[in-house]
Amino acid sequence: MTMDLPAHAQERLKGLRTSAHSTGVFTSDFSVNEFLLVRKAGFEPIGLCVGTCVYHVGIQYGSWKKNEELTVLSKAMYHARELAMSRMRAEASAMNADGIVGVKLTIKRLEWDEHLLEFIAIGTGVVHGEGHSGFRAHDGGPFTSDLSGQDFWSLLHSGYRPVEMVMGSCVYHVAHRGMFAAMGTTGQNVELENYTSAMYEAREIAIERMSQEASASKAEGVVGVEIHEGSHGWQTHVIEFFAIGTAVLPLDQEIAPDKIADPIMVLSVND
Amino acid sequence: MGFLSWLTRDSDPASIAAREESAKRQEEIVQALRADRVPPSVVRRLQDAASAKRPWIATLTPAELMIARSYGFRPIATVSATCWMSVPEDTSGWMASPANPHFHGWTTALSRLRAEAKAAGANAVIDVKMRSVSIGARDNMDFTLVGTAVKVEGLPPSDEPIIATLPALELIKLLQADIVPTGIVIGAHDVSIPDPRKNKLKILWRENVEYVELSDLMTTARKMANTQMRTNAFEKGRVVLALAHVQFSRILKLEGEGLGPSAYADRARGHVGARYAARHVAIATTIDQGSKKSREDAMKAHSGTVPSHGFTMVVDMHAGKTPLANTTSHHQSYRMNDEEGGA
Repeated sequence: MTMDLPAHAQERLKGLRTSAHSTGVFTSDFSVNEFLLVRKAGFEPIGLCVGTCVYHVGIQYGSWKKNEELTVLSKAMYHARELAMSRMRAEASAMNADGIVGVKLTIKRLEWDEHLLEFIAIGTGVVHGEGHSGFRAHDGGPFTSDLSGQDFWSLLHSGYRPVEMVMGSCVYHVAHRGMFAAMGTTGQNVELENYTSAMYEAREIAIERMSQEASASKAEGVVGVEIHEGSHGWQTHVIEFFAIGTAVLPLDQEIAPDKIADPIMVLSVND
Repeated sequence: MGFLSWLTRDSDPASIAAREESAKRQEEIVQALRADRVPPSVVRRLQDAASAKRPWIATLTPAELMIARSYGFRPIATVSATCWMSVPEDTSGWMASPANPHFHGWTTALSRLRAEAKAAGANAVIDVKMRSVSIGARDNMDFTLVGTAVKVEGLPPSDEPIIATLPALELIKLLQADIVPTGIVIGAHDVSIPDPRKNKLKILWRENVEYVELSDLMTTARKMANTQMRTNAFEKGRVVLALAHVQFSRILKLEGEGLGPSAYADRARGHVGARYAARHVAIATTIDQGSKKSREDAMKAHSGTVPSHGFTMVVDMHAGKTPLANTTSHHQSYRMNDEEGGA
């Protein structure tokens, strides 16, 4: 399903600019600054790529008193994001993009059904101005990156290229404290060890999964990592730890450093 | 999670094994934290990252990475530390450190973060963010620090890595001025009073008048917290950066009986009724101006391997927020403080 694009999407993509169709119209959500810097980095935007997935999240059973990963929810969050991302990437492949810059991966809760979540991945497909194919991901498909146009330029200038957006998710239930345990600490300043250990385990699982994705994409490192915590309307004590970043590789032979203009380094003294 | 959840829980061998493994890991985490050690699962990840068996992970943006590398910093891994504390609404009487939960929570997290950095063989942790997660439970708070452990090229691993609770770009501004951020200091103070209106029904009815008792209460909390912060900084022999990055305060009316020592003392004196509780938390980044030589040594050690940039200081005329600054949402633990009523 991920590779079979809807007919209207294919029609839309035909009108877009490609490396072989440089006069076509391109769409993007770049700001002017992003657009200019992506071009300065040697790339041309060729079109907006979108992937959507509306997902029904299954029923999760768990224990009130246990710290534990909620695997049904973890799998749902992974699977739905993967579907949205792969559909966006399929659109980029269809327009022969070398990569996708500025990917925004968002989740919307649908108010008429508490079990439905909409996952949206959107970014701008780009091609290398001189047709260099060395920027593609390890599987030959377009690279993906949640970096802005400015960050994309900076990354190339620092000697790295984006390979793949990598992520790790863990939906975790933090155990409720029993009545006696709560009464035992009433009015006291004490560490709540079960909460602390829950944080450690959940965060470690999320980072570990992201790290595994980075290893699988043959990356050297992951840049711009953010760890988000969100509950997406679930019950109290249920929280998703979501680590996301862009896996990178050194440029090596892909682009000559002298082809990238030297920046004027400035530090703002604004508040 | 349902009432009959025990009837339907996964009972296949793989699920059972996963639950057993999780329970074992949690026990290891608790035991390690009690013994002031880094949990074994975290140590394994950090050592793998330090020996390049797995990709490095950095919270830095590419621009930050580029500048950090120009100073010889190499990212190793993301490090994080948590101390989740019970934080009763009425803690008046516990104002002295280290019993204050905000003071204890952040200093414990800081110590754990430093231990993780050491386990990673790092010289520093940069881009450290202060975070808190809410799980919807009352009277508790999560004190979490997340940052990027880095190694400075040419330096051996540090016994006590420095912790820079600043965005990486601001760290560079300080380094440009030969100033090294070294950590954070915290001052926290809780104080409460019995409802002063109890015997003064004539005030605050129709007139515009200052509620002097509450002004004094809040002033006391702020002054004491900031004094404590300064004292802690001097004890560490460091200079505090003037621009403290957290000044959080709130005032609460506690209906019914308070639970803190002050409330007990009041009741012993015959006062029963509502109390007003004020809390102030002040956090600042400490800097070290005496380590210029060591920084120069570090710079010398990597000179020639990483290009160093000449920077031009600019005033950005951008309308609205400047895109050059990246500090807006750096720390979010006390973000509700800007909203009406505080957190």
